[in-house]
Amino acid sequence: MTMNIQSIRVGVSSCGLAAGAADVMTKLSEKCSAPVMGVGCIGHCYAEPLVEVVTDEGSVMFGNVSAADKDIDAVLSLAEDRRFHMGRPRTGKLTRLIGRFEPTDIDAYEQHGGFTGLQKALAMDRHAVVEQVKASGLRGRGGGGFPTGVKWGLLAAQTAPSKVLICNADEGDPGAFMDRSLMESLPYQVLEGMFIAAHATGARRVFIYCRAEYPVAIRNLKVAIARIRERGFNVINGDELEVVIKEGAGAFVCGEETALIHSLEGKRGMPRFRPPFPTESGYFGEPSMISNVETFANIPLILQEGAQAFAAVGTPGGRGTKLFALAGDVPRPGLIEVPMGITLAEIIYDIGGAPKGSVKAVQTGGPSGGCIPASMFDTPVDYDSLISLGAIMGSGGLIVIGQNRCMVETARYFLDFTHRESCGKCTFCRVGSKRMFEALERITRGLGSETDVTFLEDMATKVINGSLCGLGRTAPNPVLATLRFFRDEFTAHVVHRQCPALECAALVDVSINKVTCTECGLCIKNCAVDAISADYIVDNRICTRCNSCIEACPVDAVSRIPGGTGFHSAKEVG
Amino acid sequence: MGQSVTFSIDGQTMIAEPGETILAVATRHGIVIPTLCHNQKVSKTTSCFVCVVKHAESGRWLPSCAALPQAGQHYDSSTDEVRNMRRAALDLLLSEHTGDCEAPCTIACPAHAKVEEYVREGRKGDFLEGLRIIKQRIPLPLSIGRVCPRFCEKDCRRNLWDLPVAINDFKRLAADLHYDTYMEECAPLIDRKVAIVGGGPAGLAAAYYLRREGGLSSHIFEMMPRLGGMLRYGIPEYRLPKAILDRELAHFDRMGGITSTCNVRLGKDISLDELKSKYDAVVVAIGCWKASPMRCEGEELAQDGIRWLRQIALDDATGDNPGRTIVIGGGNTAMDCVRTAVRLGSGNVACFYRRTEKEMPAEAIEIREAKEEGVRFEFLTAPSRLRRENGKLILTCIRMTLGEPDASGRRRPVPQEGSDFDVEADTVIAAIGQATDAPEGLKTNRWGDVDATKEELRMDERVFAAGDCVSGAATVVEAVAAGRKAALAILDQLAGRPHLEPPTINVSRGHWRSMSKDDVVLLKEVSSAPRLTLPHIPLEARRTTFGEVTGTASAESVIAEGARCFECSCTAKNTCTLKSHSEASGAKPGAVGGMKVIDPVDIRHPSIVHDRNKCIKCGICIKICDEVIGKSLLGYKKRGFVTVVGPAFGAVLPDSCGECMACVDECPVGALDRRFKN
Repeated sequence: MTMNIQSIRVGVSSCGLAAGAADVMTKLSEKCSAPVMGVGCIGHCYAEPLVEVVTDEGSVMFGNVSAADKDIDAVLSLAEDRRFHMGRPRTGKLTRLIGRFEPTDIDAYEQHGGFTGLQKALAMDRHAVVEQVKASGLRGRGGGGFPTGVKWGLLAAQTAPSKVLICNADEGDPGAFMDRSLMESLPYQVLEGMFIAAHATGARRVFIYCRAEYPVAIRNLKVAIARIRERGFNVINGDELEVVIKEGAGAFVCGEETALIHSLEGKRGMPRFRPPFPTESGYFGEPSMISNVETFANIPLILQEGAQAFAAVGTPGGRGTKLFALAGDVPRPGLIEVPMGITLAEIIYDIGGAPKGSVKAVQTGGPSGGCIPASMFDTPVDYDSLISLGAIMGSGGLIVIGQNRCMVETARYFLDFTHRESCGKCTFCRVGSKRMFEALERITRGLGSETDVTFLEDMATKVINGSLCGLGRTAPNPVLATLRFFRDEFTAHVVHRQCPALECAALVDVSINKVTCTECGLCIKNCAVDAISADYIVDNRICTRCNSCIEACPVDAVSRIPGGTGFHSAKEVG
Repeated sequence: MGQSVTFSIDGQTMIAEPGETILAVATRHGIVIPTLCHNQKVSKTTSCFVCVVKHAESGRWLPSCAALPQAGQHYDSSTDEVRNMRRAALDLLLSEHTGDCEAPCTIACPAHAKVEEYVREGRKGDFLEGLRIIKQRIPLPLSIGRVCPRFCEKDCRRNLWDLPVAINDFKRLAADLHYDTYMEECAPLIDRKVAIVGGGPAGLAAAYYLRREGGLSSHIFEMMPRLGGMLRYGIPEYRLPKAILDRELAHFDRMGGITSTCNVRLGKDISLDELKSKYDAVVVAIGCWKASPMRCEGEELAQDGIRWLRQIALDDATGDNPGRTIVIGGGNTAMDCVRTAVRLGSGNVACFYRRTEKEMPAEAIEIREAKEEGVRFEFLTAPSRLRRENGKLILTCIRMTLGEPDASGRRRPVPQEGSDFDVEADTVIAAIGQATDAPEGLKTNRWGDVDATKEELRMDERVFAAGDCVSGAATVVEAVAAGRKAALAILDQLAGRPHLEPPTINVSRGHWRSMSKDDVVLLKEVSSAPRLTLPHIPLEARRTTFGEVTGTASAESVIAEGARCFECSCTAKNTCTLKSHSEASGAKPGAVGGMKVIDPVDIRHPSIVHDRNKCIKCGICIKICDEVIGKSLLGYKKRGFVTVVGPAFGAVLPDSCGECMACVDECPVGALDRRFKN
């Protein structure tokens, strides 16, 4: 059987490029006469670089392709045994165009139905557009979940001569990359959504506030803006829109709308008290509306297919689909698009491929969210159900926490991020979250007390109540959620001086099972601090709990056991 | 814009003008909401969260300095929950705030005399003003200027370099110069009278503050022939001449309203019930006049040190030559005994102490001067038996070794078996401790001291107690502090107001023993001259007469000594709103623990000190410089807990800031402040 190769698509988003897609592309171009194009990310980040070979009989996928000749030859010969099976169908509407063409190819976007939403919108009265977005039930995808149409209405009602539209592309949650993927892979769809919003709200100045760590996204957006200008698509009701990309320096707090506006204005990114809300007084006092990348990307769909069709997917509390960055202890992490209302179990077990029983919890909403224990994975994913569990939808980070993870350490880990990212303004956020972090440090180091746990509970509520912006108001969430569902782990640490998951270095020892040990010497060779004697005894006063020996042991004879009394190095760290 | 809004705070209905914040309306209605970061000169900062109120309907917390009231809504500003939230904000701010509210010397002084302030007046040569400051807390400056063990100097940061500032000599000079003409402003006399039992430091101090602060008269009942207590009958003439004490007491006569009867003893000549019936209140300040027993066989053959000193004082510093003298004990009374024995003509005086010199409770200067005067010290020596043979006293002693530390932290002396030896003496004096000689019927605690509450020094409804008889034998300065405390408690009681210790907090950079020189903040050049030395009379005169050993330092040398002071206290201690709000709300340093960021204090600017360790990141300075002055020289830097405020790139503020000072004037905590104190 021979199939003719018509074209080859290589995923060249950041994830693909990081895995070596550029070299793969070059190699494929050298060896194949069919056109080779770089396309967006289809979400299977664990299998990058991904190559899709389009033949006259359909397309074939290859994953983990390197630039080595044997891989390239396997791709070009369509080798059966190297084919990649996604394990899940692509169903999402939002990302349906990803991977089909080069992201900056404006003709291809048009051929696939691009800009029809904009054209429809421009043909409508702007207030009718607002009503349609309201009817779609779309809620802000950045985490807040504010009804998008209502926000548009607020800005549309403003009579100021100049109004501002801002796309929040700061995406600061560690491990979240939904917006980056959209901007890299579908820049026209994002921009189209913004132009529709500009028409509907009467805004004539447009900013995209994008973190500078997203060079591919910024490049693609810049190319896309230039091509749009060539075609004149940026002329809305006779007004030419200026789209300005502002590169942010990467402060987490600049994802908060008032801090973002300060940063846009050239000031330090710090939130201010609301009201006034930005729709009344935003960028240099002008009415401004801020929406997230994913929110804008959804807009063309609503206009194209109508509000009813859009709202047909999802739950009453959340319409449409949602992108999630699935990460952590799952075999198939990556970017997924799922209908609102899907259960966590479906995401984690079916899509992520995690074996049942291997997962302890999932963290939703990144460092601002909370964990949900595996026993509650039948929870449907939408804004309100997650909040009822003390978690949040957030912008779409889903971090799967395996059975081998300590929940106290998990809380400490997230608070380590948020307390450092506090802008330093509000007392409770700046100092309170620091003091909470210190208490968690003590607990994970085996130095904590029940007073620390009480303090955490008390201060968590105060930090939430006593902070201006979302950063401080959500930073304690991981702590409260772990205290709610995994209090026994806190008790184990402070009362019994034990880490049940054997993760906290100060509460474990490393031990070699003399029965199963084959005395191969790999553990001794791999130990960086010479903590293992020639007769295979670990000196736990020297051992740093780095796990090298455990990973090196071919027969699983080395393991962590409860202990840690001799572990001094971590206790001395300030 | 807008309409006025009717809403309520703590159930009180109010009307806000358009644009008026909750804080503004509350303030207009006399509701006090504390705030640190609010400043009317600049746009809202909303950073400190001390001004929070709770929106009753939604349960949301709002910074009242920025939130506008909503029509028909209710806000809580005085519930326990709101107070708790405000206190938590202050606790957190204190947990990152470092500095010295008060100088360590002032904190160390049992009477909390404003040491740094009177030293500063001394440096300026204004000893009259210095005396005025001293007398706020020290009613007996002539005496204390001579006999104080100088708690202040022990905590002086100058100890890290060389020797502490000679603080007490400022007091002595100020009093010597101006005491006879100085008179403080006293409250007008009112028709209330307090009985004071005991005319020593505690009783005198109580009389002084009753008169000064409340215009109350008092009558002192003294068991001895004259007033002064231990100042007259305990401390020997060569340390505190009686003529000086008489000058001190003359001041009390000049104040008016303070009278006394001598040679009357509580429990014998007068009764507490009688005093209670005749006076508005009673202060028991009877001191510690009973010698503690040596607990050795034949101890009745020994003189009791206090009684021996008292007799010599009664005899106007005369007495028989005690011959070969052995004094048992290591405290200040023992030193008074040995040095008095020398002055009475004995050429053979020894002090026996059961531990070593290091453990001696006596002041180092006393030990040194005793040695200079020829006193011999036998350490690790304890008496075990005293007997008289052929008219001579034979003291059997035993040698000791030091064992494990006891409850006082000092190593416990343990007898060395078989090390007994005999010493012959003409006089043996026991000076190993004193106890309260409480007359029958007076309530005492398990140590035999008068039982009084800690907060008010109250014994019962109208009886208070102060001084050694409550604390056990202590110092003059502690006694006057107690006398003042009892006086203030009485004034509150008679005025019918609750007696509340004024809540004070003190943030400290630490004790000098735990600091390095780099940790000490010096805002100016400090003199590197050695500590002043007091003139001493010749050694021969010290051995043979009761003349005062040390003279008063000259004004010149004391002024020079002032330049050695580091002036440790906070430049903003009198205006700091973090301090005042914390004190009012019960927030305390240390309530929340954790790391502090310690930055070097920036004194590169000629007239402004920038101490980031005090900064609470309220942002007022940034906004003042930007919005009011239009210079925008300051900004936030870094993120999270380590956020700091300062000029960009660590630059120094320009010299021209010295003429503006707008940020300095608005800083609530003295993080930005003038470098020099007045």
